Amino acid sequence: MNADPLKQFLQAEGATLVGVGDVTKALSREIIHLGRGVAIAVNRSLTRDTVDLLVRLQALTEGWLKAKGYRSLSIPPDSDRKMGKMISKLYKLFCHKTAATCAGLGWIGKNGLIINERYGSKMTWATVLTDAPLATDRPYVSSQCGDCDLCVRHCPSGAVQGHLWSLGNPMREIVSYDKCRSLKSGRTSLKEKPNCGFCVTVCPYSRNGKKNSN
Amino acid sequence: MADEARKKEIFEKLRNGVIQYDEDACREGAQEAMAEGLDANEAIFDGLVSGMEEVGRLFEAQEYFVPEILMCADALYAGLDILKPHCKQMDLGVKGSVVIGTVEGDVHDIGKNLVKMMFDVAGFTVYDLGRDVPLDKFVDEQLKTDSELVCLSAMMTTSMVGMPKVIEKIKAKNPDCMIMIGGAPTSKELADRWGADGYAEDASNALKEAIKMVAFLKKLRDEKIQKK
Ligand code: B12
Ligand code: SF4
Ligand code: SF4
Repeated sequence: MNADPLKQFLQAEGATLVGVGDVTKALSREIIHLGRGVAIAVNRSLTRDTVDLLVRLQALTEGWLKAKGYRSLSIPPDSDRKMGKMISKLYKLFCHKTAATCAGLGWIGKNGLIINERYGSKMTWATVLTDAPLATDRPYVSSQCGDCDLCVRHCPSGAVQGHLWSLGNPMREIVSYDKCRSLKSGRTSLKEKPNCGFCVTVCPYSRNGKKNSN
Repeated sequence: MADEARKKEIFEKLRNGVIQYDEDACREGAQEAMAEGLDANEAIFDGLVSGMEEVGRLFEAQEYFVPEILMCADALYAGLDILKPHCKQMDLGVKGSVVIGTVEGDVHDIGKNLVKMMFDVAGFTVYDLGRDVPLDKFVDEQLKTDSELVCLSAMMTTSMVGMPKVIEKIKAKNPDCMIMIGGAPTSKELADRWGADGYAEDASNALKEAIKMVAFLKKLRDEKIQKK
């Protein structure tokens, strides 16, 4: 099933990137029938407006699929903050990074984040899982960071280990989240902010879209 | 006051809201029901719950899978949150206290929550243990609270087998406590076989049964005191 019309539709509605991945291998039993992940990204930081935009894009995707007789399940961008609902129990079964790498929209950088060639990791992601047999994009199977180690050197907490990600070894701890978090708790002024983010800002892909390591 | 046709329309909206997992429709329907002076209990059971029953059928027909079921349950609760505070407090002359929960191994608590709601409305004191409750917890909680009633819910044939164990333990420690069971796979026959004192097929009958049981217990206790 051709996915281009869906991609074009979503891009016209404000999506920066849309891709389709075969995510079957990453699914648990409850959602095993939803073998395609539609990864949607916008090049904006995680704010209320960004979340609203992504949620709207997800609703449009669901509508598009439903009109063709398919099921879908949206994993919202802020899935980790959405608690207390019954459906929210399923959110933790699926991670946006999986959809993004399977859909060929990025690899997991040494900084543990999705790196898109053009936008780096300055993006916000959402996923719609579906049982529609959409044509899939070519996945990333390994890291493209190469010798670059800017984020390793600049991380003030020593959290970024420098490991290269590969699809075959998804469970490897690339970033020590405990260390990263320990820094956050020490900085009271940044209390409500999501961490220092140096690993995002130093990344050449995030900075100017081209890699120019030095 | 809304006429019959309008009432039907609102209940239909609640029912379809659950089936189509449309939380907004459920909220809207609930608000309309209250604005037009409909009975909250009726709106819950003839609207929301009747929708959930259809969802059960769709699940069995494999039209709905787990994600849909959970979204339907969210829609049901969205309506319930609005309707519940409007449930008329009933004074049925008898009030009691009850320990309720879904037995170990079973996380289905939608039905149990509806039964609990009926007890709340009737002014009972309810000790809700939640779902997937270890069997001994029922026994302990009954002793601790000295409740007249223990209500066990199970939605699976695999979990309901825990019920006779709880019943036996409670009866051994406290023969004067009454036990009622419910949930789709259970029945009057099973209740009898397992030595439960009561069974009900839905939430309103559960309350009726409970009232009979509590009244009976009170009478029994009064007689005992008189004899002494
Ligand atoms: C919703 C649902 C779920 C939800 C539960 C959400 C929740 N928090 O409750 C989720 C998705 C989590 C779920 C999970 C599973 N489910 Co399920 N689920 C259902 C479903 C579709 C509807 C149940 C429901 O809520 N009905 C609506 C309420 C209002 O009705 P009710 O519970 O019967 O309650 C009424 C009466 O029974 C009574 N009542 C209830 N309790 C009590 C207690 C007392 C004391 C009294 C007097 C009366 C009483 O009053 C209530 C109101 O009138 C049923 C299918 C069905 N048709 O029943 C399957 C069903 C119960 N699930 C089933 C199964 C197998 C599972 C899973 C193993 C997954 C799977 N493979 O499908 C897991 C098990 C998880 C676990 N360990 O518990 C099977 C059980 C089969 C069996 N015979 O053992 C069923 C029957 C589906 C089927 N046909 O296979 N499920
Ligand atoms: S947010 Fe800061 S502390 Fe955490 S991994 Fe990135 S650079 Fe290191
Ligand atoms: S800074 Fe370099 S190593 Fe770190 S994620 Fe970006 S490209 Fe990869």
